[in-house]
Amino acid sequence: MAVPIPDATLATPTPPPLPSLVSSRRLRTQRLGRALRLWVPAGFLILVLAMCFLWPMVYTLPSPTNGNIVNASLPPFSPGHWLGTDQVGVDIFSQIVYGGRVAFEVSVATTVIGMVIGCALGVLAGYFGGWVDAVISRVLDILIAFPALVLALVIAEGLGPSEFHVILALAVFSIPAFGRVSRGATLVVRGLPYMTAARLSGTRGWRIIVRHVLPNIMPGIVTFSLLGIGVVIILEGALDFLGYGIPPPGASWGAMIANGQQVLTAQPEYVLIPSIFLLITVVALNMLGDALRERWGVQ
Amino acid sequence: MSEALLEVADLRVAFATAGREVRAVDGVSFSVRPGVTLAIIGESGSGKTVSCRAIMGLLPEGTIISGSARLRGRELLGLSDSELRRHRGSEMAMVFQDPARSLNPTMRVGVQIAEAIRTHRKVSKREAQAQSIELLRLVRIPAAERRFHEYPHQLSGGMRQRVMIAIALACRPRLLIADEATTALDVTTQAQIMELMLELQQELDMALIMISHDLGLAASYADEVIVMYAGKVVEQAPAGRLFGAGGAVRMRYTRALLDAIPHLERPAHTLLPVVSGRPPDPSALPPGCSFAPRCQYAADDCRTKAPVLAEHAPGHSWACWHPCENGGTA
Amino acid sequence: MSAGSSGAGPAGAQPLLSARDLVQEFVVRERGGAKGGVVQAVSGVSFDVMPGETLGIVGETGSGKSTLARAVLQAPRPKSGTVTFRGTELTALHGRKLLQARRHMQFVFQDPFGSLDPKWQVRSIIEEPLVAYRAGGRAERRKRVDELLDLVGLDPARYARRHPRELSGGQAQRVAIARAVALEPSLLICDEAVSSLDVLIQAQVLNLFERLRSELGLSYLFIAHDLALVKQVSDRVAVMYLGKLCEVGPGEAVYRQPLHPYTRALLDSIPSTEPGAARAAATIKGEPPSPIHPPSGCRFRTRCPRAADLCASEEPRPRELAAGHMVACHFPLTQPAATDTTAAAGTTAAAKGAAE
Repeated sequence: MAVPIPDATLATPTPPPLPSLVSSRRLRTQRLGRALRLWVPAGFLILVLAMCFLWPMVYTLPSPTNGNIVNASLPPFSPGHWLGTDQVGVDIFSQIVYGGRVAFEVSVATTVIGMVIGCALGVLAGYFGGWVDAVISRVLDILIAFPALVLALVIAEGLGPSEFHVILALAVFSIPAFGRVSRGATLVVRGLPYMTAARLSGTRGWRIIVRHVLPNIMPGIVTFSLLGIGVVIILEGALDFLGYGIPPPGASWGAMIANGQQVLTAQPEYVLIPSIFLLITVVALNMLGDALRERWGVQ
Repeated sequence: MSEALLEVADLRVAFATAGREVRAVDGVSFSVRPGVTLAIIGESGSGKTVSCRAIMGLLPEGTIISGSARLRGRELLGLSDSELRRHRGSEMAMVFQDPARSLNPTMRVGVQIAEAIRTHRKVSKREAQAQSIELLRLVRIPAAERRFHEYPHQLSGGMRQRVMIAIALACRPRLLIADEATTALDVTTQAQIMELMLELQQELDMALIMISHDLGLAASYADEVIVMYAGKVVEQAPAGRLFGAGGAVRMRYTRALLDAIPHLERPAHTLLPVVSGRPPDPSALPPGCSFAPRCQYAADDCRTKAPVLAEHAPGHSWACWHPCENGGTA
Repeated sequence: MSAGSSGAGPAGAQPLLSARDLVQEFVVRERGGAKGGVVQAVSGVSFDVMPGETLGIVGETGSGKSTLARAVLQAPRPKSGTVTFRGTELTALHGRKLLQARRHMQFVFQDPFGSLDPKWQVRSIIEEPLVAYRAGGRAERRKRVDELLDLVGLDPARYARRHPRELSGGQAQRVAIARAVALEPSLLICDEAVSSLDVLIQAQVLNLFERLRSELGLSYLFIAHDLALVKQVSDRVAVMYLGKLCEVGPGEAVYRQPLHPYTRALLDSIPSTEPGAARAAATIKGEPPSPIHPPSGCRFRTRCPRAADLCASEEPRPRELAAGHMVACHFPLTQPAATDTTAAAGTTAAAKGAAE
C-alpha cells in the first residue's frame, strides 16, 4: 500500500569519519567523567552495604555491644581490632558495621514507607484535584508541620525507644515529603499533551495513573528518594546521639559519636571515625542522585 | 562599492556532547555591507543560528570555533568576554526569537533599555531614561512615556519585540542580527516588525542579517540570500536572482524548499513535491554532498565528493554537481 | 454564523459535524492566583463540516481557534452551545456514552513529541485507542498496529519498538497520526499539526494527510495560523478573530475575493516569494486588543481601516454575500466604506479583489 519513507542514514554506506575538530582526547575525557560520576559513588555504596550486611556473615566480628574492659582504648590496627576499641573495650569496627546496618535499615524502611504511602497520596491529589487534593494536601501539611525530631522524642518517651519506633517517627516526616514531590510532579505531567491524548484515546482514569503518570514521575521520585535516604541517615544518627533512638547498648553511628564526645580531646578518633562514615555515605548518596538525574534528564 | 562591514571566512563550529563531536557549522563564508539586508535561510540544524552566535561570541565555553569573522577589519573570534562586551551593543547587536523569554519579567521595560544604554555609555540615569523614551519612539511604540514604566507582561508580543529591538539599538550598532525575530509573532505583526526593521536600517545605516526558515520573508525583505544546509552554505545570491519570475534557483535543496512551501496560488489538495528523509545527523555527516541522500537527482559524484560553493554566475554561487536548469523546474 | 450547506458533500447531505453558538471562557489569574478577569476565547461560533470535506480555520494568536477545537472535542466542555457529531449531541453526553460517541473523532496535536508518552514504545502508543475501545484481541491489535505504521510510511520492523526520543519530529507526528486513525475515525481535528515541523518535513506530512483523506475518506477540521497552508489543504476556509468568525467560504473565493477587512489584512501580510511585488501598505493598524475587554460592536474595529460609528455600536451579523460565502461585517470589501476617506481604500481593495 504505502511505500515506506527511506531513512536517510540507510541510503549511504557507513561513511569514513571526517577529520575531527574536537580532539578525541576531550571526547574521551567527557565520557570518562560521566561514567566516573555514576560509578564511583555507586561503587562506594555497594562496598559499604557489603561491609555492613555481608561481611559479618563471612567473618565473625567481635561483639558490637559487649566489650572486655581489659581491652579498653586499644589504638587502630591492633591485632583482632582493626580500628581499635573504645573506652569500655567494645570493638570500633564492629560498631561501625552493625551501626551501619541500623542506619541503612532505618533509612531504607522509612524511605520505602514514605514513597509508597506518600506517592499514593500525592499522585491522587495531583491527578484528581478538587476536594481530593484539598483534603490530602491539608493532611500532608499537618504531617509536615510536626518537627521530626520532637515527634521522635515524644514517641520514644511514650512507647520506649526502639528501632521500630524510630522508623515510625521518621516516616511521619518522610510521607509528606514524598507526597509533596509526587503531587508536584503529577501536576506537571497532568498538563502535558500526551495525557490529553491518552484520555482522548479512551483510556480511563486508573489506567492513566498507573501507565502514564507513574512511569513518568518515577525518575524524579527515585532521585529524590536517594537524597532522602541520606537525610534520614543523618536524622537517625541525630536521634541516637540524643539518646532517643536505638537504646544503648545497641550499636549506631550516632551513639558512637555521643560516646566519643566525652573523650574528644584525648581520643578524637572515636568521634571522627563514625563521623567520616556518616559523611561519606551521605555524600555518595547525593552524588549518585545527581549522576542519575543527569542520566535520566530529570529537572 | 562600500567596504564590507562583516566578513566571515571559513567559519567552523563544533561541540562535544555526550562524548560525540557535533559539527554544527562546517565552513561558512559570507560578507555583509552597510545598509544591506542579508537573509540566512535554513531549517533547524542547518547551523544558521550557531554561526551568528559564534560571531556574537554567545556560544558556551568549550565550543570549538575556527575560521575568521571580522567586523570592520577587527577579528571577533577568540576575543575575551570583556573585549566582546565592548563590541556587542555598540557595534553589533542581536534580537532573538522569543521576546517573552529575553526580557526580564520583573523589571520595567524602560529600565531594561536604560540599562543597556548605561552598559556602553557613561550617562546619568536621567539621561539614560530620556534616551530610552527616544528609543521607544524610534521603534514606533505609541505613548512612549507611559510604556517606559510598564512590565513586559503588560505588552503584546509585537510590542515586546519592539522593545527588544529598542534594546538592541540602544547604542546604534552597525550590524543588527535578527535571529528568527518574527517567527513567534502573528503574521500581521510580523509584517509590521519587518517594516520597522527595514525603516530603522535605512535611518541608522545599519547592516541587517535576518535568520529565518521562511523563504517568503527572505524574498520580500532581503537584498541578499544565503541558504544553509547541514552546516554549509549551499546557495548564495541576490534575492532578485533567486525568486520571482526571473528567478533561477540552482541548488536542489533550495528548489525543494521553494516547492514545499504552501503557495496561495496553488489549488487546494495539490500534492507537494516531496523530499524524503530528514537532515543528516551533525555528528555523522555523510561524505560528499550532505543533501545527496535525499536528492532525487543525486549521482555517484554527489555521494563521494562534496560540492564546493563557487560563483558560477555573476553574484550567484551554489554548491551542487547537478544543479537545476534555467527556470529551476528541471 | 452557520457555514452549512455550501460544502463539498452531496446536496441535502447531513453535516458530519455541526457546532452552534459555542462559547468558551477562561478565568485569567493575576500573579498570586487572584481572579483577574474572564476571557471569552470563543464567543458564539457556529459552523458545519460536511462528510468528506476539509474545513480550515485560520486565525492568529488569541483568535480562539485552538480553544474552539477543544470545545468541539468536549475537552474541556464549552460553557454553552451545542456540538452535534454524526447526529448525536455531544454536549449532553457523559462518561462512557461520550467516549463511544467521540470514538470517530480524533485529534492531532501541535507538538509531535508532547503528544506521545516518552516512556511508551511506539507500538503501545498506537495500540492505546484499540485497547481502550476493546477493538480486537492482542494478536489482532498487533497486526493493526503494523498496518497503521505502514499506512503512515514507517517500517514496522524498525519503528514499532522505538521510543519517542528516538524519533524525529516528522516521524513522531506520523506516529501521532497513526494513533489518530487507529479506530477509523470519520473526522480528524488537526490543531497546528504541522506548524512545528521543518518545511520539507511539513510537506511530507501534508501529503500524508491528503493520502489519508482519499484512502480513508476522512474529513478534517484543520486549524492553523498560516493562511496559505490552510488554503492549500482545505475546501472551505473560516477566518477567526478574537473569538468570532469573520468570514467563511470556499478557499478560492476567500483568497480571490476576501470580503472581510481582516482577511484582506491577513492576505496582505503574507510575505510572498515574488520580490518587488508591490507590497500593499499595512492594511491593519495598531495592536491586538485585550481579550478580557474586547471592543464593543465589531471586535475588529479598532484595527480596521474602514471602521465607522456603526461598527462600535452594533455587532455585525453574519450574512451570505455569495454562494456559500459568508461574512460578518457592516462594510464588507465589495461595498464602499462608510466614510468618504476610506471609500477609496474600499474600492481599490474591491477592484484588486475582483481583478485577481
